[in-house]
Amino acid sequence: MILAIVPVLLITLLIGARGVAAMRTTSDFLVASRRISPTVNAAAVSGEYLSAASFLGIAGLVVKDGVGSLWYAVGFAAGYVAMLALVAAPMRRTGALTVPDFAEARLGSPALRRLSAAVVLVIGCLYLVPQFTAAGQVLGVVSGSPYWVGVVIAGAAVSITLALGGMRAATYVQAFQFVLKLALFIVPAIWLVLQVSPDTRREALTPVEFTRFDAATPVQFRLDTTLTLSEPTRVAVGGADAEVLPPGEYDVQAGQTWDFAAGSAVPHVGTGPPGGADWARPLLDPGGYPLLATWSVLVATVLGTMGLPHILIRFHTSPDGRGARRTAAITVALLGVFYLFPAVYGLLGAALLPELYLSGATDTVVVALPARVDGGFAGTLFTALLTAGAFAAFLATSLGLLLAVSGALSHDLVPSTLRRLRFTPIVAALAVVLLALPAARLDVGVLVTSAFAVAASTFCPLLVLGIWWPRLTARGAIVGMVTGLVASAGVIGVDLFLGVPPGLAGILLGQPALWSVPLAFATMVLVSLRGRPPAWASAAMLRLHLDETEPGRR
Amino acid sequence: MKQRRRVAVTSPQTRVALARGRTGVRAAPPHLAPADAERARRIHRRQLRYALTVLALLGALLLGLPLLLAGAPALDTVRVAGIPVSWLAVGVLPFPLMALLAGWQLRKAERAERATGSGAQAGHRAVR
Repeated sequence: MILAIVPVLLITLLIGARGVAAMRTTSDFLVASRRISPTVNAAAVSGEYLSAASFLGIAGLVVKDGVGSLWYAVGFAAGYVAMLALVAAPMRRTGALTVPDFAEARLGSPALRRLSAAVVLVIGCLYLVPQFTAAGQVLGVVSGSPYWVGVVIAGAAVSITLALGGMRAATYVQAFQFVLKLALFIVPAIWLVLQVSPDTRREALTPVEFTRFDAATPVQFRLDTTLTLSEPTRVAVGGADAEVLPPGEYDVQAGQTWDFAAGSAVPHVGTGPPGGADWARPLLDPGGYPLLATWSVLVATVLGTMGLPHILIRFHTSPDGRGARRTAAITVALLGVFYLFPAVYGLLGAALLPELYLSGATDTVVVALPARVDGGFAGTLFTALLTAGAFAAFLATSLGLLLAVSGALSHDLVPSTLRRLRFTPIVAALAVVLLALPAARLDVGVLVTSAFAVAASTFCPLLVLGIWWPRLTARGAIVGMVTGLVASAGVIGVDLFLGVPPGLAGILLGQPALWSVPLAFATMVLVSLRGRPPAWASAAMLRLHLDETEPGRR
Repeated sequence: MKQRRRVAVTSPQTRVALARGRTGVRAAPPHLAPADAERARRIHRRQLRYALTVLALLGALLLGLPLLLAGAPALDTVRVAGIPVSWLAVGVLPFPLMALLAGWQLRKAERAERATGSGAQAGHRAVR
């Protein structure tokens, strides 16, 4: 299956090299990149944006948590409508590549610049770790390798690609990646829908709760799990002879395989099994407050998109503010096409591979489906295609993020010691690999959402108020961002280390965006109102709204 | 003239920050000519209005749709081509609506710039 990934890497490198070569022929690299048309740039933005969370995570969450998980896709795409309305054009006009740059340009505060760089690191890590985790899990499923092998291979692939250079230079790479991902996602989805029996299609649309194994099913547990058997169950543990286990709780170690006999009852784990009435409700419902939970995810994803460091860089390749705006608008349409398809995988996965929810490997449902539908050559082929697509998703996003993170490290945070170090990306990749190794049990989608929550609580108020409100002061921005960071990242840290409490508190702590974003906005506004912006603040804001086609600017 | 020099590629803001880091002096604060400032103020006001309108519509869509689905569970049992309507409302419906919203905002924002732009060229006549 490595064979599927190698071509993706090679073609990516090839187009990267060609793109760089093409740009060298023009006198100035920046001018060259400014000729990128909005459509190509929108494809590039989408290519960089569609991460493992989009490619694998949403479908996996559908299997695990239900149809409501599709709201993630809606939020991911809707972020660009907000981006278009509030950020795209003015941000491009600051000439700022990153949020630290923007903070410097608009508010002139070096302290704020360093704080923003630190926030870039937090967001980058929260976003990168699940990418690596997903790579590890996918490689584990398709090649049977242990989890850590996949993570290390992924880290090595990203570092080497970065070290060979030029990735960021070539918008064409990202644009190609988008087309590739779109094709590798849509074609197998259509094939799957046509290939499965009409009964399966009906089953996918009228889900039945997964209570009994239809056939003898081996379940390889990826995580330490506690199972609850409700009736005597015939099962063979770890290859031993089948025995009948009495009802009760059983601790399963990661890596163990349980072979359940046909017709035996499905044991319970933490969440409900796929196919139930709650599962089919089109709302996210982790703790009994579906509306609040759904809104919170939407607020986080929509507002968080504005602050993603690797996406903001992309808008800089537009020729001007107007181009950036068009790019954002086209991106909404492109993402809309892609996000129609995670539902296909999720629904088919819930019908055909419900046992994934026991083993904790729901993130692998997309790549596991073809083999389940067709055991022959076609199944292998489509597994290979989807693996390649997942790897492309992982690669594009990780590269962009890693560049943003190493930029923040070597440029904004520790300029004197690290600026000249070319291997900052490798150091950063190593750190992320070390973080990803113990993170196997985390959901790709959930961890990415926490990255969005942090971005929404810090960069979103900074950008929105900085662009639209002349009275914002550097002090207000700093206090507001620290408040938002502590509220969102602190709460997520508590969840990760202490566990999420049940009920209403669980939603407010598990998805803090619904209250942490207004809190950050309010803090920023109140602290700014108590201070006085410098005399040039109004000009610094207004010039972001002047279109650059007019002569006599500045 | 045709000679090509290799230049380090950085964003303008990064260059400003780097220059300050070396010299310790802040770059000149931004300023606008009075005519430009007046025009920018008009654009800013218009764009803010359009942006808030679009955000309000987006908010109505994204907050209202879950509200509708939570309030009307009957939609789960209504089917179009075998698919529950409530599933279509999550998985399909928002995407074309958001694309339309984005297109509308784009047109409005560009028109605002053009309108105020020509107004300024015609000698600072008030637009609208």
